[in-house]
Amino acid sequence: MTSNMRAAQNRAARDRARIAILSHPKILLGVAILAFFGLLTVAQPVLEATIWSGQNRIYDPQFGFDHRIAHPSSPSFDHWLGTSSTGRDVFSMLAFATRPTLVVAVSAGATIAVISVLLGAVAAVREGWVDEVVSHFSDAMVLLPPLLAVYVLGIWRPSGDFGALQVGLSFGVLYGLGPATATVRAVAMTVVTRPFMDAARVAGGGDAWLVTRHVMPHLYAHAAVQAMIGATGAVIADAFLAYRSAIGESVGFGLMVYDGIVFSELMAGIADTPWWIMLAGASGITLLAAAFYLLGTGLREALDPRATSILH
Amino acid sequence: MTDGTASRAPRLPWFVAFLGRRFVWALITTLIFVAVILFVMEVWVPYSWATLGSRSPAAEEALRELLGLDRPLPIRYAEFLVGLAGGDLGTSLGGRPVAELLRDALPVTLTVFIVGTVIGWIVGELLGRLGSWNRSPAAGAGISVAGILSAAVFPPFLVFVLVATLREPLLAAREAIGLPTDSLELWRGAVIGQEGALSPTDVRWVVALSLSAAVVGALVARSYARRYGLRWIELLALPGALLGTALGLWLGGLGPHALDLLYRVDISVTTGRGSPALALIGIALISFGQVMLLMRAGMDAQRAEDYVLTGRAKGLSEHVVRDRHVARNAIAPVLAGSFLTFPTVLAGMMIVEYELEMHGLSSVLFSAVESQDTPVIMGILVVLGLIGIGFRLVTDIAIATIDPRRRYARR
Repeated sequence: MTSNMRAAQNRAARDRARIAILSHPKILLGVAILAFFGLLTVAQPVLEATIWSGQNRIYDPQFGFDHRIAHPSSPSFDHWLGTSSTGRDVFSMLAFATRPTLVVAVSAGATIAVISVLLGAVAAVREGWVDEVVSHFSDAMVLLPPLLAVYVLGIWRPSGDFGALQVGLSFGVLYGLGPATATVRAVAMTVVTRPFMDAARVAGGGDAWLVTRHVMPHLYAHAAVQAMIGATGAVIADAFLAYRSAIGESVGFGLMVYDGIVFSELMAGIADTPWWIMLAGASGITLLAAAFYLLGTGLREALDPRATSILH
Repeated sequence: MTDGTASRAPRLPWFVAFLGRRFVWALITTLIFVAVILFVMEVWVPYSWATLGSRSPAAEEALRELLGLDRPLPIRYAEFLVGLAGGDLGTSLGGRPVAELLRDALPVTLTVFIVGTVIGWIVGELLGRLGSWNRSPAAGAGISVAGILSAAVFPPFLVFVLVATLREPLLAAREAIGLPTDSLELWRGAVIGQEGALSPTDVRWVVALSLSAAVVGALVARSYARRYGLRWIELLALPGALLGTALGLWLGGLGPHALDLLYRVDISVTTGRGSPALALIGIALISFGQVMLLMRAGMDAQRAEDYVLTGRAKGLSEHVVRDRHVARNAIAPVLAGSFLTFPTVLAGMMIVEYELEMHGLSSVLFSAVESQDTPVIMGILVVLGLIGIGFRLVTDIAIATIDPRRRYARR
């Protein structure tokens, strides 16, 4: 086979993979949800600067208050998703809270991908004691639920010190060292038994060469799956931290759920449950988390339908 | 070998070596895990009770010395491990042993965790198996949506919805069974300090331990049944273990007490929280999706194998191909994968338990975080890790029972 033919074949295989990814319904749905929230993030400051401007800052997500009506108010023409118990516009809060949540998801996902690919590839290529250390360590890290650890780490820190980026990074480190490394290492172990690894060794490839050129490319898809599933957890962890430390003018999906639950418990039997606040917050969390989960499982199905059994 | 040299040597049954290897694994994992927790608590956690409030640096130093927080980490690590071997998890900063704090809380969490995940497993496995075989787009989409919602739901909101919708039916059920409306009537003996009277903690421990034993037994029995084709045992082992434990408790005279704990509503009557029955439903809802998606993916991966075609060609009915051939091959990876979902399910479970104001590990953990009681936080995280190790051992044994190749695997 000439090298030209091989290059053409490789290109065809890449094109097939690209089509499989781009036409997978789960991936399309996940991208659509993310695009919707991305639009919200962009729309919030624009709306505040144009349609919502000059009305005593009623629509400010942190300090807004509409003097004309009692709060919490149900969805209306003025307030598309109603107002919270402290009179803030729920739609504005929802749009405002999207950006930090995306920061959490992206930083957690990136950390998970980097850690799991590096550790998994190195463990598989070096084998021996390196692999023993990596696999035992990841087995132990699986036992520490990242959500609880992030909560324990973050709850007493001022939110300025432990913001979206820090939540995402610490969740990513904990999840990345645990389930993600365990999974990616298992895939890497099947990669190093393939014949091309022997060929690369015989051709004189060193460990670093083998890791970066021959093992890591086979792990990217699996690491991406882990990154997405980890991002799901990070979004929920961030919301839980906001839910438990809900104070002052902070804005977050978790805080919106908290606001609704606390109000309905305080006013049980007196006022109706403000479902719109809780639903806005909870669906913000669930839709964003689900978008990452859809991307993860969709990617797995599109790229490697037969590998599903060893991944989770 | 036919010359007999190998067969004459006495051979241990496979599970001796297997259990030995798994035990060594558990030991090493515990050592690493405790080191990780100690590191996180000491280096990463920014607070400690000793630094709480506005003490002068000298007073803080004295307090740290008194509590033993100033000594080098390796020594404290060794001390913690020695204590752990003897069931001692350290001392809370309030002066009570951590193990004593956990004695009342552990059985609550254990019971809820075991029953909730077993129900989640039964439902998830069934739906995953049927969903993989049913090729209609509606069923596939329904299963995907349910699985993803189960993984992405915000637990506090789930609890709120459960309480809002299920509190009244549960109270009605309690009345229908004939339990006294006031839980105190059942526990009067323990409250007035009568000798030999049943206390809630006793009953919780009996329930938790008998449930653990029954479920572990059922899992192993089920794997054997799967291997040797005993279809009915395979189907009924897990539900049977739950029902059998319930029946045993009832015959043992603990029925009303155990039921009362299940339907308990006395903790917060106005909000309707504190009911383990709701927690079971919540945890089952959080855990079933992961198992379902794993099971469907495992079945889908097996569907393309040649033996499926062979089975159909020799005239086996579809459900025999599905249940006896494909499902049996798909289950081992699903069991292995389910361990990796452990942290997610456990965290969800702790939140559900806390939101329901149950007096389990989560309430001890969250109040320890509030009072910055680092030894208690550490003790609970270690206990959660030990539960995880037990969970892993049980799944490993189940996998080895199904798949002989795993019995001799190094890991």
